[in-house]
Amino acid sequence: MHHVLVDRWSRGASPLHALDPRVKILSLLVFLIVLATTAANAAVPLTIDAALLVAGILIAGLPPGTLLFRAMAVLPFSLTFGLISWLAGDSLRAVGLIEKSYLSSVAVLLVVSTTSLPRLLSGLESLGTPRLLVLVAQFLYRYLFVISEQAQHMRLAAASRQGIPGAHRRSRFRAAAGALAVLFAHSYYRAEGINRAMLARGFSGKFPLLKPLRLRTADGLFLLATVAFLVLVRVQ
Amino acid sequence: MHIPDNFLSTPVWVALDAICIPAVGIMVRRAGREMEDTRVPLMGVMGAFVFAAQMINFPVGLGTSGHLVGGALLACTLGVAPAALVMTAIIAIQAFVFQDGGVLALGANVFNMAIAGVLAAYLPLVGQASRPVQDRPGGLSHKAIFAAAFLSVLVSASLALSELLISGIAMPKPVLLLSMGLFVISALIEGAITVSVVGAIEKLNPGFVQKADASNSRTLVILSAAAVVLGVAGFVLASSAPDGIQRLALQLGLTTKSSFHGPFADYAVGYFDSPWLRRATAGLAGLLVIYGICAAVSKLIARQRSA
Repeated sequence: MHHVLVDRWSRGASPLHALDPRVKILSLLVFLIVLATTAANAAVPLTIDAALLVAGILIAGLPPGTLLFRAMAVLPFSLTFGLISWLAGDSLRAVGLIEKSYLSSVAVLLVVSTTSLPRLLSGLESLGTPRLLVLVAQFLYRYLFVISEQAQHMRLAAASRQGIPGAHRRSRFRAAAGALAVLFAHSYYRAEGINRAMLARGFSGKFPLLKPLRLRTADGLFLLATVAFLVLVRVQ
Repeated sequence: MHIPDNFLSTPVWVALDAICIPAVGIMVRRAGREMEDTRVPLMGVMGAFVFAAQMINFPVGLGTSGHLVGGALLACTLGVAPAALVMTAIIAIQAFVFQDGGVLALGANVFNMAIAGVLAAYLPLVGQASRPVQDRPGGLSHKAIFAAAFLSVLVSASLALSELLISGIAMPKPVLLLSMGLFVISALIEGAITVSVVGAIEKLNPGFVQKADASNSRTLVILSAAAVVLGVAGFVLASSAPDGIQRLALQLGLTTKSSFHGPFADYAVGYFDSPWLRRATAGLAGLLVIYGICAAVSKLIARQRSA
């Protein structure tokens, strides 16, 4: 599955993986803003931005082909809107939508592939995101795999039970609703169990990180260099 | 309905990010008040449930199938503010982990689906507990649940469409009408799915379905009505005059086709001559403002928590 792959990538060891998550988040934002303000027909800056991303992928030791392919998830949407804009006579916007939304998607994927989600979320928390939201997102990500697998099993079981395709749409609809209700109840009781277990283990209201966030000189230099480079490219 | 980056013009995403931060802050504070700390795992696991629920297909005819979106279902079971919080977490995870929706456009997506979408679902549910239905004491009537789910999806979709139109994405009339038709159909499907799932959940354990009045507050009702009005207005404006929104945006100086006219343009104008520097500075200034608001809100919440 897609997220399992990204999760595995994010546990690698490279200079990019070692950077502080806050530095990566801020660099990502600067990159996205610079990209958003670049004209769609400015070939040179866009090529340099793309080259920067490829360099990042190589430094991080990620498989470039696979990553660039994963980022194409955005293309169905942008191709549709690109086509609509092109039909409406706005071909510059059509090109811009497709290339810039793809580059943005690669940039985000590069950051999440070099930062484990707990570190990314605690980076976001120390940049001001409310604690409760971060906690909920952490639980969500942790149980996403568990509950999804359960849903997968239920879907398989249902598919093997309902023999005749196309028959009794109403009853299949009701069966799907019943399956979701069961999944809901399972999730609800699971959450109560998790809660009791966590209280028993003395949960303090915050997930500790194995390696606490710490800004090093290298982090500061990276942020400075990236921002300076991006701005310089944009000015030219 | 997840808007990727670079679809919205700079003023639009900056404005929506700026609106979203206090809005999410308020929802987080309300959710923290309504649910004791012990229910944090419940909100997270319910978010995972909504994610997983999208794998279960519902046959809707013509060989196609739909799936649950979940905003109204969460509002019926967790309450409005926790539902908004869970939807915000879902959209953030979708943007970062699945590249479904942009990062700069996160504010827009959160506003459309987690804030306005969930608030719109609240309006039909209000006052349900005060007049209990005969055959399901304490429960919600099917009509109310259907209306909640229908409004939730329709408002989110129509806001997303309006934002794209304001950003200057031109859509020929047939395309626009077609997409609005599809929105209405998916809103109807969400209504049908939510009614039958909530019904089945209630049958398993009536305690799962919350009375909407548990979080009764006049502010929420007003905000909910505002979300519905905003969504419906966007829908009507887009359908009656496809370029109506665009013209409106041009009058307000919101489109970036000509140049940047956002709230920070005047500030930047004296310092820089190059138009891109002006834009980038405005963007950064916007981000700084957002960051400031964000930090202030979170500090406020922290203080209220510890008090």
